[in-house]
Amino acid sequence: MNTIDNFLTDSCKSNPQKLALIDDNSKFTFLELEEKVKKFSSFLNQFPEKSVISLLFDNTSEFVISYLGIINSGCIAHLIPTGISQSNLQNQIISAQPKLVLSSNSHFSKINDMELENLEKLKFSEVKEISSDTRTLSPNDYAYLIYTSGTTSTPKGVPITHSSCDFSTKNIAKTLQYSKNDIDLLPLPLSHSFGLGCLHTSLYVGSTLVLQKNSNTTDILNSIMKYNVTTLATVPSTLSTITSNSSTDSLDPLSNLRLIITNSTFFPPETIRKLKSILKTGIVATYYGLTEASRSTFMIFDDEEKIESVGMPSEGIQIKIQNDSNDDKIGEICIKGSNVIDNYWKKEYSENKSDEWLKTGDLGRFDEDGFLYILGRVDDLINISGEKVYPQEIERIVKVLSGIDEVVAIPMKHKSFGEVVKLFVKKSVNSEITSSDILTHCIKNLERFKVPAKIEFVEDFPRTDYGKIKRFMLKE
Amino acid sequence: MNLDDDVKNIFFDTFPLLSESDFDWEKTQNKYDDWDSFAQLNLITLAEAKFGIIFSDDEITSINSAKTLLDIIKSKK
Repeated sequence: MNTIDNFLTDSCKSNPQKLALIDDNSKFTFLELEEKVKKFSSFLNQFPEKSVISLLFDNTSEFVISYLGIINSGCIAHLIPTGISQSNLQNQIISAQPKLVLSSNSHFSKINDMELENLEKLKFSEVKEISSDTRTLSPNDYAYLIYTSGTTSTPKGVPITHSSCDFSTKNIAKTLQYSKNDIDLLPLPLSHSFGLGCLHTSLYVGSTLVLQKNSNTTDILNSIMKYNVTTLATVPSTLSTITSNSSTDSLDPLSNLRLIITNSTFFPPETIRKLKSILKTGIVATYYGLTEASRSTFMIFDDEEKIESVGMPSEGIQIKIQNDSNDDKIGEICIKGSNVIDNYWKKEYSENKSDEWLKTGDLGRFDEDGFLYILGRVDDLINISGEKVYPQEIERIVKVLSGIDEVVAIPMKHKSFGEVVKLFVKKSVNSEITSSDILTHCIKNLERFKVPAKIEFVEDFPRTDYGKIKRFMLKE
Repeated sequence: MNLDDDVKNIFFDTFPLLSESDFDWEKTQNKYDDWDSFAQLNLITLAEAKFGIIFSDDEITSINSAKTLLDIIKSKK
């Protein structure tokens, strides 16, 4: 069983002069990176082991050096998204209770503005080497702490052990066949489980990681060409933007990729088909996972019939569908395995686990071949006279209409039917679509009881710091 | 397009099986095969959206034909 620091030291032993990391301003070989990390961790050794150190950085080498430095020093890295609101930042700091908050120069004002007593704050550039002690890590120690995005409720602290991370990293590397020959482009935040998993995988297999600060599609295509990238990890919306807004010729850089990996947010089938048609020999893949249960399934898209599935459980991971009725194949997805957390931070939310099974709050079903399909969230179900309606089904139908950017269906109380569908719609710029256009389309394409009883147009939706829509706030 | 045509179109949108020859302003709910409580909800929602009006509970329960819907909309205009 590895600890995260071994990923770097092992790759450094094998290929010290190989390029490990590239960002906008710098490049590091594995040897250079290891030396930087050691120096950084020597500073952190002044803090007791298992202290929490918070990190607020963009996707830069500074993030990677600080993160690995914290890990090396036996402390716990609390990863903060750079887009975090001031109130959420304050809540996370109060909950995590860090000994120190480290930040890039550009984000320092955010932590400096916080009015918390005895909170030590430091810029990356102020860190100096002060001791040469080394510490021994245990696989069962917590390595890092991430707060969930709060899409469905209050953000929860999720601490991840070295052993859980080791399991997930090997799972990713094996399933998607990462190797030291890869050059991995990452335009995803390292403060999120998806992006961080990609960093771990690159360090573990000894590939080269190219960090990009944003998901600008032109930058992505340019980076692929500039660095001869072989794998791209990004969210479905970025891939949809790339394929829908770019001319066929401009998508040429994608054609030589070995792998495009995305995550389990709804992945439009037409985007998958377009990507597959562009790739010469590469694969398109997705996964289903939570911060609490990283990469629980993988799906490599090679079967048109399974295009809406998130795949099958990974080796060593069990998934079951839990529901009240024996006949109903749809229910809450529960996960058990070495990738699942033991507890939430401070052992809160213990009701989310039962006999080592993590209750995800996601609704799903398996098909006859054992492929998993995500249908939405348990809390989002709309119960219309006993009929269970999945908001995503309605949203997908409405999204087909042009002139609509985003749409969310929620339950609305009704005196006869218990609940009916209410639709929130964010129109595209200059769109002239009306609620009667949407209703007429719904009547033609949905069963009667699923047709929205109310439509409200909104300028935008309440969102988390990660940009996800806070559905629960629309219900209030 | 006049109000009568708008209301007729709401009926054609709500009841896709309804043909021009079958349409009758006086034809009541019990003569439609597919005018159930959800169809009533669709009809009301569509009319409210189209004309920017809100029906009261009493008005909703009294709508049982194209004519009653037209009359109520006229009274609110």
